[in-house]
Amino acid sequence: MSDMILSVQQLHKEYVGEVNYKALKGIDFQLKRNEFVSVMGPSGSGKTTFLNCISTIDRLTNGSITINQNNPYELNDEGLAKFRRSELGFVFQDFNLVHTLTVEENILLPLTLDVVNAKEMKSRLAEVVEFLGIEEIMKKRTFEISGGQKQRVAIARAVIHQPSLLLADEPTGNLDSKAANSVMTLFQSIHETFQTSLLMVTHDPYVASFAERVIFMQDGMLYNEIQRGDHKQQFYQEIVDTLTFLGGGYHEL
Amino acid sequence: MSFNHIVIQNILRDKWTYISYFLSSVFSILVFFFFLITAFHPMMDAIDPHSSLGITMILCSIIIYTFSFVFIIYSMLAFLKKKTKSLGVFIISGASTKQVQKMVFRENMLIAIAAIITAIVVGVIVSPLFLMVVKNVLEADSFGMYVPVQAIAMTFILFSVLFLIVSKITTRFIKKEKAVRLLKADVTQEKLILPTPWRLLLSILVSAALLLPFKFSPDIIDSLGIVYFIILFISLLMTIYIVLTQGIWFTIRILQKSSAYYRKTNMLFVSNLQAKGNSHAHVIYLLSILLVAVFVTTSVLYSSYYNVKENTEAVYPYSFQYISLPDNPLEKEQQDIEFMETTLEQTVGNFDAYQSAFKTDEDRRIGFMSNANFNALGTHQAITLNDNEYYVVAGNEGIIPNTDAIQDYVDDTLQYVGLEERMILSTGFRAVYYIIPDAIYEAINYPEYHVFAYELEDWTEKRDLAEKIESQIMTEPGESYVASKISLYADELFVKRILFFIGFMLSLIFLSAAMSILYFYLQTSLAGEKEKYLGIRKIGLSMKEISVIVTRELAILIFVPFTIATILLFIVLFSIRDSLSPAFFQMTTVGVGIILLLFTLSFFIIRKAYLIKLVE
Repeated sequence: MSDMILSVQQLHKEYVGEVNYKALKGIDFQLKRNEFVSVMGPSGSGKTTFLNCISTIDRLTNGSITINQNNPYELNDEGLAKFRRSELGFVFQDFNLVHTLTVEENILLPLTLDVVNAKEMKSRLAEVVEFLGIEEIMKKRTFEISGGQKQRVAIARAVIHQPSLLLADEPTGNLDSKAANSVMTLFQSIHETFQTSLLMVTHDPYVASFAERVIFMQDGMLYNEIQRGDHKQQFYQEIVDTLTFLGGGYHEL
Repeated sequence: MSFNHIVIQNILRDKWTYISYFLSSVFSILVFFFFLITAFHPMMDAIDPHSSLGITMILCSIIIYTFSFVFIIYSMLAFLKKKTKSLGVFIISGASTKQVQKMVFRENMLIAIAAIITAIVVGVIVSPLFLMVVKNVLEADSFGMYVPVQAIAMTFILFSVLFLIVSKITTRFIKKEKAVRLLKADVTQEKLILPTPWRLLLSILVSAALLLPFKFSPDIIDSLGIVYFIILFISLLMTIYIVLTQGIWFTIRILQKSSAYYRKTNMLFVSNLQAKGNSHAHVIYLLSILLVAVFVTTSVLYSSYYNVKENTEAVYPYSFQYISLPDNPLEKEQQDIEFMETTLEQTVGNFDAYQSAFKTDEDRRIGFMSNANFNALGTHQAITLNDNEYYVVAGNEGIIPNTDAIQDYVDDTLQYVGLEERMILSTGFRAVYYIIPDAIYEAINYPEYHVFAYELEDWTEKRDLAEKIESQIMTEPGESYVASKISLYADELFVKRILFFIGFMLSLIFLSAAMSILYFYLQTSLAGEKEKYLGIRKIGLSMKEISVIVTRELAILIFVPFTIATILLFIVLFSIRDSLSPAFFQMTTVGVGIILLLFTLSFFIIRKAYLIKLVE
């Protein structure tokens, strides 16, 4: 078994329309098993496109992506859906919960689609719910809970099927700093407890500093990367410095 | 940027929201217009507005107009609902409710005028084709083309008024708070269906109580008249609604408790059903009621169309019947008979002729016929009466006559041996005929009427012949009476064809209303559904799985109303089964089968289109 969970080679993405736009211009990137990486960059640098290509939401134009030794782009629609809900876990900025389902049903959704037996469903549910501390709200509807709770529910749904790669797109974008902090602590402990590989896009240097490595993107290319040392504070400062250097709206920091 | 500029831009930039509203308006105007083209056709002048057909025509135009009214209000409200959120943007940017109402009113009137003009233009262009179809359906050669000035003017005026009123009314429904709330909340939750067992029980009991008099005491119905039917109608409509919503609640409950709930897409499907339970119930209810209307109008009108031949024969048993009264000069009688027989001989050659006679008490409208004379009429089984026996034949179709009155005319009491309910002569000529032994007949002292009757094969095809004979030999009151089932049949058939045609137009309106309600509903929910499925697809839901959910949901929206309507139709038919022939049941089943086929077809089309829209 390779110790690379994700391997991206010469990834190109071009949007074809009235004006063709090259969003990604050849990215090479590797994510080790059980590694936590943040992707940063100014608006329009292509970081979300990069994540969407990995998560198979967007189709790539050129290059290759291998996730856990699978090439998801070779799969048909059905295979791809199955691949997404077994190998990948998603956390979105807008939570992406299904409003017609209760909190509990939202968390169980990936398992029901894969027809897991009831007993196992129960035990897995109990495990994640306890870990995330959301026992109280299980029977509630999604519009009856707060933003921080919503994101916890979304995280519970993203990890209940034990994905090999957890992808997060601005997971704290819609949260206040207190909720953001608790969500990030949660990511960190999920990463440590379940040994989940994590790839997260964020524009917030504080949030990014929870990762072990930060990669920076600019104009559809990888620009730089920083490894976390022993001190989180120092790591944070390095991130802010790089961003200031990159420009694009980070001057004020 | 003027106010009107905003109005026009609103329409142009958001054309898909407007187009469904526009199209359903055009359609209902068009149907009304076509109806008027038929109603105002010069040929229709022949129909007496006070005859039952004339009244039916007037009644139908009122129904169509009222229905258009309700339907356009519905479309407008559905359309407003869809627009409320964007109206919220205007309100939040500082437009007063009054300004927004004014804006919506102008938009509506602009669309209304466009719809009226489009409908009339399309109507005028298609009208020659339409009149050709009508001509063939009604088998009326005189139904040619004409310029429907009256229909155009009336459609234009009536619908302008209608839209003016509807726009004025509906814009009052725009509520500032609601629009702003819609704008703020990204998820609006509709109320879930709650169990209401007492209401369910009460409604069923009330409807059952109202239905009871039908079986046990019809007098109550007669004394209450139309009020009873209105109350019954409203009660039934409410009961159906409550039973439907509670049925949906119960089904969801069962599905949620089932062990398969957490398997595959079941959870998504059932929870969707629950969340949209109320609006689903509304749509299913409206569709069911409209479909019942379609089924009932077509089958009732078809049933009248179906038995025309039998019904005609029941009232006029002979191809030609000539009754000569004592005042008819003998030469005239002979001349008429000779003309008829020669004409018949020349045209068809082969025919049955019967000669008979009866005496009659003109005051009591009672006829007396000798046994021999009765047997001389060919349509009935011959009978043999003993000297002291008599036999009764009804004189009016469908009315059981008095069987004893004969005793007033004879010295010795006679024995009643039987009753023939079928007509021996044209209906209504006499109230009753008593068939008596020949000797007693001779003794009865009343004027004798002579009967000449002719029967042809394939008589329904002999219309020209009937016209030819009837142009020469006409009823002369007090002297001779002529009746022909051939011309009666032709007249009846024409009336029934017009009725059938009206019924067809009505059911077309109901059906199209049902379809547009469904279309509006799907259109309105599409945006939300699209967003939802996009979200779930990101987590890992394949197209196939979405298609499974959507298929089930659409199947519920389309086939549940169909099933409810079919059940209601057959309940109605079963309760009046005595007055229906088994063949009619067969035909109805075939008809329902055809509509089922149409529904299945549209189900697949809608499903495909909806799926494409959902993931585009």
